[in-house]
Amino acid sequence: MDMDSRKTDRLIAGAIAALPYRRPSAGFSARVMAGIAAEAPQPWLTGVLKGAGLIVTAWAAALAFVSARLVYANFADTAALLIQPGGLGQALNLLAARAALVLAKAGSVMSLGLDILSAAAAGLPAWYEIAVAAAVCSAAIAALSHGGRFARQGI
Amino acid sequence: MAETETELVRRCLKGDNSAFAGILEIYQDRIYSFALRLLKDPVAAEDAAQEAFVKAFRALSSYNPARPFSSWLFRIAHNACMDALRAGNKTVSLDGEDFPDLPDRSAGVEDMVADSLDAERIEALLASLPPLYSEVLLLAYREDMGPAEIARVIGAPEGTVKARLFRARELIKVKLTAVKVQDATV
Repeated sequence: MDMDSRKTDRLIAGAIAALPYRRPSAGFSARVMAGIAAEAPQPWLTGVLKGAGLIVTAWAAALAFVSARLVYANFADTAALLIQPGGLGQALNLLAARAALVLAKAGSVMSLGLDILSAAAAGLPAWYEIAVAAAVCSAAIAALSHGGRFARQGI
Repeated sequence: MAETETELVRRCLKGDNSAFAGILEIYQDRIYSFALRLLKDPVAAEDAAQEAFVKAFRALSSYNPARPFSSWLFRIAHNACMDALRAGNKTVSLDGEDFPDLPDRSAGVEDMVADSLDAERIEALLASLPPLYSEVLLLAYREDMGPAEIARVIGAPEGTVKARLFRARELIKVKLTAVKVQDATV
């Protein structure tokens, strides 16, 4: 690059650097701030939503882990059956039998849980008190979620 | 003393939305002028600038304070302008570098160019360039950004930025020479 060219580049740069900034129309700031107000969720609501999201994610992860373990535990038996002629039916029968066994176990666990609950129930409030508390909590959660949605919509 | 951008951003992140008015005050003219010079339409430029500020507010939590706030905001404005150009069916060559052929300039052209660079003419010349070229010139000289910072703003490699800057300057020189020759023959 020769000296003349460098000089011209500097002149172009200087001319562009000296260009004035243009100002947007009068209501621009107000429009942007209104757009922001409509977008911004309440900080506490963000916390609640994040907490709920975290609980759902943790629950989904636990469920996926348990399901994966079940599939893994039964995989060797079913895979061996699947490669034999007519093995698909046998594999399905085997899975049905395993499922019935799990259900039976779940039934036993549930009856054990009920026994424990009934033993602990002596110290619990009456069933109608629990029902009223649950109803009040549900109403509060519903009101909060509606409030958040309306706030986001600028209502 | 006026609050710095970092303090204003920190206040915004704590939930104080009014602090964003300070950021808006600092940057509204710069972002609007940048959009106006790319889109060449005041209404479209205001829409793009507004969209950029609202998007910036929404994404404030993703801003890295180790980097300049201005280039982060200009990146959002760049995206808003490119979206507006695409929506208006204007050509934005992003896939490849579609460099126009530049004719040879005769000797003595540099002096001619130097004589005729007033604000009005440079504004008109910028407007006549494809947005990809006027953008790098504005970021480099009006916003005083280096090639690395411009590369972050437009999302292109640094080498591409340097090539675009060179081509943009050459295009301006060629156009300016053509204007001068035309003036001389009239």
